[in-house]
Amino acid sequence: MNSHAENTRYFVRLTPSQRLQHIILVVSTSLLIITGYMVQAEAFVIQSFGNYGDTVFWLRGWIHRIAGATATAICVYHIFYVLVSKEGQSWFIDMIPRPRDLLDVWQNISYMLGFRERRPKMDRFFYLEKLEYWSVWFGMTIVIVTGIMLWTEFYWPEFFLRIASAFHLGEATLATLAIIVGHVYAVHYNAHVYPMNTTFIDGMISEHLMKEEHGMQYERELAIMNGTAEQAPTPHGELARLIDDYRNCITYLLARMKGKPGPDTEETRVDDDA
Amino acid sequence: MSVYLTMILRTATLLFLLPFSISIMAEVEGNCELCHKFPGIGRYTQTESDPAKDPAHREKFILYIDDELYDASYHGKIHCKGCHIGVDKIPHTDVPKVDCATDCHIRDPSVDKAFSHKKIVDDFRKSVHGVDGSRSEDKSGLPVCKDCHTNKTYHIDIEARVGTEDFLKVCNECHQSEAWTKRFFEHMLYRSLKRRTSREVIKLCSRCHMDAELMAKHNLDYVAGFKETFHAKAISYGDEDVANCLNCHAPYQLGFSPHRIKSARDESSPTHSENKIETCRQAGCHMKAQLKFGAGSRVHPSPGKIQLVGRTTTTKTTTASREAEKKLLADTLFEAKVIGWIILFYKVLIACVISGFILHRSLDIYAARREKRIMRSLMK
Repeated sequence: MNSHAENTRYFVRLTPSQRLQHIILVVSTSLLIITGYMVQAEAFVIQSFGNYGDTVFWLRGWIHRIAGATATAICVYHIFYVLVSKEGQSWFIDMIPRPRDLLDVWQNISYMLGFRERRPKMDRFFYLEKLEYWSVWFGMTIVIVTGIMLWTEFYWPEFFLRIASAFHLGEATLATLAIIVGHVYAVHYNAHVYPMNTTFIDGMISEHLMKEEHGMQYERELAIMNGTAEQAPTPHGELARLIDDYRNCITYLLARMKGKPGPDTEETRVDDDA
Repeated sequence: MSVYLTMILRTATLLFLLPFSISIMAEVEGNCELCHKFPGIGRYTQTESDPAKDPAHREKFILYIDDELYDASYHGKIHCKGCHIGVDKIPHTDVPKVDCATDCHIRDPSVDKAFSHKKIVDDFRKSVHGVDGSRSEDKSGLPVCKDCHTNKTYHIDIEARVGTEDFLKVCNECHQSEAWTKRFFEHMLYRSLKRRTSREVIKLCSRCHMDAELMAKHNLDYVAGFKETFHAKAISYGDEDVANCLNCHAPYQLGFSPHRIKSARDESSPTHSENKIETCRQAGCHMKAQLKFGAGSRVHPSPGKIQLVGRTTTTKTTTASREAEKKLLADTLFEAKVIGWIILFYKVLIACVISGFILHRSLDIYAARREKRIMRSLMK
């Protein structure tokens, strides 16, 4: 924890390595989107390059390849990062979807519609963040595989290349739109962070925002700080907590099937919030 | 008496006018510029429908010839009547169309015979575009020389493109006629330059091949899929290193020529499924292409008109080639279907994801506003 300003306390949200990975991905993806869509550009855009069109096209191709290779490299690095490093493992474990996310979806939507007083207390990563993260995994796998196919075009049947290019374009379009509608909104236009969430630069999150958007993690961190935690919990990345969540869910469901409410379940959380 | 007087006067008038009329005839023999030097000279074509009432469908013909520019053109050394045979009276009625196979009065220095485009015209007749080689039953719409050789009327830009006055000085060290060396040099230079950019080639070919009506008349697919290919996208940027129509359908490198262009169904055609790989492997293209790279169906199938692919009218088809045709059609349809499914999958996925996001974000904004309102009312 850090205290940047007099009144506001700040929590660490992104480590330097994570910020670096993010920045590299932002730059390479932006370049990929721009240079990729130049292939689909309308005639008037192409005409605006005048006689330099072929040079532009040549540059476009190489920037796309270099940016693609960079993005691939950072993805490969990320796989090692989540497998090997401690903070990577913690990140990965917290990103794994769990039953509580479903409850969060339900409660958050009810809150937004006005049926609940308060936003549910969400953990380190809430469901949309998880969705975005896993979309990058799936999306990147598709664009990297098809991209490599298109780069080594001589090795594949022409029909495979047409399939690859359909997937490449489709996935790119999906990703671009999702970034604009999903991610850019969340970090720029969201009422809490407008005009820009600076977490990706300094890695910090304000106490207010932490309370608002990651209530559960906030409480845990607070408990550790105040020394009121029951059994020395870690603020994040606890595998046991993930397993617990699944176990609780199963216990709860089994209990419901038998017709009686489970012991330590989501029901409890609903009561807490109400 | 008055009758005789009238006759005498008429005869005298005719005798007086005769030398002038002869001189006009003489001008027609050798001096076309007499009339064609006037910039205003021209006419409108008459259309079959209604020439007078429908000016929109009339084509303007400018019959003005600028002497200097004509001399600088491809055919600048040839006199008008070398090609426009049969022009011997005014107005020029019943003149046959210009035949490019006509023998010129220019001598071909390689064989010292009268030069002619006859060889190339004969080749062209045997090509798939020509009357002898075409598989179409209706030969009326087939292209002729001038449909592709839409040469600019004058090549005024040749000086700018050549820009090699110094080079000509070397020629003129030995050759005495400067005009001749210039012409010869330009001829060689033009032959070594690409006549058209890839963009122009595509524009030229698609003038007919993207005309669905005309293609249907000849029982052919119209080409609509090409603009979706990566080749087309690169060409639209002005990239000259990627394949245009002719690089695959008539590659000079492999000994083909646009004048001897063949149907993809022809077994000796560079686009026939058996030969496709060699065409792809041309120097400067996909040189490392594996055998399977050339497999598959069409490189640029026409999405809407795929069902047409299988129809053939030719009497030359054998059972084997008909079977191959059927397989090609089935493959093309299958491939189009697969691509179609992928595109549909992404369309649905994108619609779901994006609308979901938008909905969620709108709710978010709604909640934030509500919160703000509540806060304000609390403040009061």
